[in-house]
Amino acid sequence: MNLFSSKNKKIVKDPLMGENPISIHVLGICSALAITTKIDTAVVMTIAVVAVLSISNVVISLLRNNIPNKVRIIIQMSVVASLVIIADQVLKAYMYDMSKLLGVFLALIITNCIVLGRAEAFAMQNSPSKALLDGMGNGLGYGAILIAVAFFRELFGFGSIYGAQVFSDQIYSGGYENNGLMILSPGAFFILGLIVWAHRAYTKVIDKD
Amino acid sequence: MRSDLYTIAFTTIITVILGLGLSATADSLRERQVLNEELDIKKNILSVLGYKQETPWTNEEVQSLYDANINEIRIDEVGSIIDELGKNEDLSYTIYQSSENNKVTGYAIPIAGKGLWGTMYGYFAIEPDAETVKGITFYKHKETPGLGAEVDKDWFKNNFVGKKLTNKNGELVSIEVIKGYVSDTDPDAPHKVDGISGATITGTGLTTFLKSDLQKYEPYFAKVRSVNQIESL
Repeated sequence: MNLFSSKNKKIVKDPLMGENPISIHVLGICSALAITTKIDTAVVMTIAVVAVLSISNVVISLLRNNIPNKVRIIIQMSVVASLVIIADQVLKAYMYDMSKLLGVFLALIITNCIVLGRAEAFAMQNSPSKALLDGMGNGLGYGAILIAVAFFRELFGFGSIYGAQVFSDQIYSGGYENNGLMILSPGAFFILGLIVWAHRAYTKVIDKD
Repeated sequence: MRSDLYTIAFTTIITVILGLGLSATADSLRERQVLNEELDIKKNILSVLGYKQETPWTNEEVQSLYDANINEIRIDEVGSIIDELGKNEDLSYTIYQSSENNKVTGYAIPIAGKGLWGTMYGYFAIEPDAETVKGITFYKHKETPGLGAEVDKDWFKNNFVGKKLTNKNGELVSIEVIKGYVSDTDPDAPHKVDGISGATITGTGLTTFLKSDLQKYEPYFAKVRSVNQIESL
């Protein structure tokens, strides 16, 4: 089987655009609002979610023919929860400052509907290699929106991009002020709403009621 | 449909494997995590005592700076210095004393208490005269970003620097976070700092626990002050 077949590429590409977990399926909103005040936290969160999602998808896919149907959700939850705890522990050991910033939200990846959703909807029916691609694709699709939200919040809330100051002192002395709303959660709601709107207009996805 | 026995066996095996994996990870990383927490505390003590540098500190820098300059003193409730061993932990308090060339440059004490959403943890630093504030810092709190969370911003922390803990009779009055701005004509201005608008509960919480924490250390600092007085005569 060719790993880079057009079908496999589609598995990775779809969640980035037309099937994006945040902007199209509106999953994982909680963390998208909570940890997007700065780009660096969003990037670390993205890496953690990509790792957890990819590994959990592969593990579930390997077990898919043996998991008793009655307890499949519990098994999926146990696998996901264990992986999240490991990610949390690794971060505490190697990136202590970042783990302080992410706080409880890293542990809350467990409740991120994307992870369990992909395990149940994709990994239970597909081979491990496909499940890996699906996990990476969805993780990156989630991360792309997260980083986009964080970009605008950091730019207008702190005047910087990825920690580097872009608005000079002259702009501030000229009367410009950082927008406090951007640092608070409501600011994230507005930015996320606008991004969802723009993305849906671009991909022409309309909810059928 | 699989048998119940299979379901139970499968679940048990998965649980055991995951459990083993988790405890192995936690165990192998514990040493590093504990080290990180200790370094973070040391970093906070150093920064409240006025140590700073342009680039972020590396772990080794924190460790060597701390070992070279900070001396941990344990005192009991009447302010006498006690040995670390063999004493009741609950009744002893730690003071972090910084010194350079055998001269004391400041004291830091841990402070903690209720803010609006949860307990706030930090350090409070005092000049060698034991009555002037050297600095304040918070390393853990759950206050609202933009409102109560301003406590760990420089503009708020800098307001404490140079304030006086004692009145002219040498009695402890602590520092009060007031509503609005401190007026220059207020005779008590040296004991007050500007509050954060929209964060009154955070401010009054800080006022309360700062005072009660300072009272615990007051016996020791009173001794420091009287020694200073004798030396200056």
